[in-house]
Amino acid sequence: MLGPPSFIFRSVVRFLFFLVNVFALYLLLRGHNLPGGGFIAGLASAISLILLSLGIGLAELHRVMRFDPMRLATAGLALALGTGLIPVGMGRPFLEHFDGYLEHVPLLGRVHVGTPLLFDFGVYLVVVGITCKVIFVLGKSTQRLVALVAEDAARYASPVERPIEETEEEGGRNGS
Amino acid sequence: MNWPAAPVLLPLVTALITLFWGRPGMARRWVTAFSLLLQFAVGVGLVMSTYPGRVLVLGLGAWPAELGIVLVVDLMSAVMVTLTALVALVAQVYGFIEMRWAISHPLRIPLIQFLLAGIQLTFCTGDLFNLFVAFEMMLISSYALLTLEADDWDIKHAFPYVAVNLFGSALFICGCGLVYSLFGTLNFAGIARRTLEMERDGVVTLVSLLLLLVFGIKAGLFPLHLWLPNSYPTLPIPLLALFGGVLTKVGVYVIIRALGTVLPHDLGILHAWLGGFALVTAVVGGIGAISRPFIRGILSFHIVSQVGLMLLAVSFMTPLGLAAAVMILWHNLAVKSSLFLIGGTAALLNRSDDLSRMGGLWSRVPWLGVLFLVQALSLAGIPPLSGFWGKYMVVRAGLEAGEHLLVAGSIGVSVLTLFSMVKIWLATFWAEPDGVVVRVEDPRWRRMTGVVAVLAVVSLAMGLGAEGFSRIAIEAARGVLDQEGYVRAVEQFLGKTGGVTP
Amino acid sequence: MALETALLVGVMFTVATYLILQRSFVRILFGFLILTNAANLFVLSMSGRPNGRSAPVVLEKGVPMVDPLPQALILTAIVIGFGVAAYLVFLLYRLFLDRRTTNATEMYEEP
Repeated sequence: MLGPPSFIFRSVVRFLFFLVNVFALYLLLRGHNLPGGGFIAGLASAISLILLSLGIGLAELHRVMRFDPMRLATAGLALALGTGLIPVGMGRPFLEHFDGYLEHVPLLGRVHVGTPLLFDFGVYLVVVGITCKVIFVLGKSTQRLVALVAEDAARYASPVERPIEETEEEGGRNGS
Repeated sequence: MNWPAAPVLLPLVTALITLFWGRPGMARRWVTAFSLLLQFAVGVGLVMSTYPGRVLVLGLGAWPAELGIVLVVDLMSAVMVTLTALVALVAQVYGFIEMRWAISHPLRIPLIQFLLAGIQLTFCTGDLFNLFVAFEMMLISSYALLTLEADDWDIKHAFPYVAVNLFGSALFICGCGLVYSLFGTLNFAGIARRTLEMERDGVVTLVSLLLLLVFGIKAGLFPLHLWLPNSYPTLPIPLLALFGGVLTKVGVYVIIRALGTVLPHDLGILHAWLGGFALVTAVVGGIGAISRPFIRGILSFHIVSQVGLMLLAVSFMTPLGLAAAVMILWHNLAVKSSLFLIGGTAALLNRSDDLSRMGGLWSRVPWLGVLFLVQALSLAGIPPLSGFWGKYMVVRAGLEAGEHLLVAGSIGVSVLTLFSMVKIWLATFWAEPDGVVVRVEDPRWRRMTGVVAVLAVVSLAMGLGAEGFSRIAIEAARGVLDQEGYVRAVEQFLGKTGGVTP
Repeated sequence: MALETALLVGVMFTVATYLILQRSFVRILFGFLILTNAANLFVLSMSGRPNGRSAPVVLEKGVPMVDPLPQALILTAIVIGFGVAAYLVFLLYRLFLDRRTTNATEMYEEP
């Protein structure tokens, strides 16, 4: 790290965070017939979180976020799979999607809705979760922070092995 | 009507449940074992509903046109699904016994389920690009499993596996693009119909060669096998049984499916090439195994050798040859994985699987010896065990096709296999060296042996019930070769659900 | 158009192969990234000439589109490539942590 990030960067990032997420929502909603969709919206959202982590630091972001991105990804996968499984329960082929029109929605009028949006939202969650987990773990590891907190370690790490950063630190001490 | 998707959906749901559950525990293990049992039951159900020669089709998402993805299950796929689920069940339970839940890695169970979902999708899919997706699901899970509990030595040897398979994936995408531009569809049935109508064309041979190259990387065909013998032995034993028993066989299955059902049967020189390379693969695998002084290494090289034998039988492209390949494939699924598990149990008793530091097992644990003997002799092809019938059919098919050189080579390879198996037997069970401890007091080995016995019984049943077993194999091979029947089944389904776009 | 695309794909494959065969991890990584993109571009060229046709987006009736299927394939391949790239970064980083070197030859020498 090259010292604390500048004040300007932090202020801009806090503002950008919301802007990028609104844009991600726009991408998600227009994704059915136009360029956009869950994957690209998820990437946009993940980028907003990564920017935030650069602005306020990974440790602080972890304190603010409170949840494990991997759980988000699992929930997204469950949502996408669940959307695909609904027609199976009705005796229709797996992954069939349904759509229809909602009349008289306030401000919007007639709205075209369908289950692909739910599927896309699942994809969105998966992409946000996985991208954030990947970048955060890699970032923490390169900054010599503990990559997995205690809750994560019980879920994703072998109980009989120590984190590679620790073993490496020890080896470094012995060598010097 | 969703039965063709069930073998894929069950592992996916199980993976999600175990991911949400997160922390290792006894209840999580019971859920996994129950799910695997359910997958096996679904497989048996699919076999019963596809025998003889019925084809189940499912159009995902109810898309009317040929653009939608279809899942197609015929007898061949159904038996593969069943055997894969069985091997996975046995390997998983073996893993549960081997390691207490408190020290097991929490991600191993979900990753194995994702791997299974990928493998089963490969067996069930009827679409080339969907096959690519299935391969990637399978490969990414296998990369993760390969490096999950690895130390730095293991990771070093995992890297070539990852690199070679990444290159294969890129070639596969290119192959998909070429197939689409050539045939205008990626549906297996669509491609098969166009190849039935098309004149023989050099470009078709070229595309087939590219696809064969990609699948050959997955199967470990010479000279694309070099990633296999060093990376597999780094895996923990239950995973090694799953990888060695099932993963490379997926490549063989796809080659059988592609050459039999999808691509034209008349590919000119390509089949002769396949036969030649397959023979070299078998010999190289057999000789390579001699160079290894430890059980996992010997058996890993034998994977390559067996793959060569199967592809040798495929290259005859006669119904009998394909039936022989199918028979060896199924026999190998059961036998190979159980040999890895037996080797693991022996290594647990001797604290090492280095042949020079093992011994004294026959006098202490004779039942393990019996299991090993049955499976090893079956692999070498001693009658009346299951391996013999497959080899017998290879020889007959080869003589009928007039390929005397290949037949002689395949018999020579059997001798090499027998040599390696006898080597393991002598060093592990027969020898009584000083200073080698046999830890019979470890209670785990009894339960492990019991679990492996299930696979041994399956392989014995295949050998002793060769009459019925070979009938199923011949029926499956006939189904694979019956391009017109396959096309008809898929088109009937598409016709039922809406307009077929030509 | 076809010739330019073919040349570009060829150059990308060459560059990718060259980079993968280098010793430095970073170059190997970039080699694989370029390889994926080269394959995707190759598939894209299979959807035919774009002359006068619109992108496969539902806009209005009667506008000719390019073949949408290769683009759908690429979309899938990009997502898969994204996951694999993330895995590869971690694998190479882990190898670096283990041996404190980014040179593949040094890594495979016995310590």
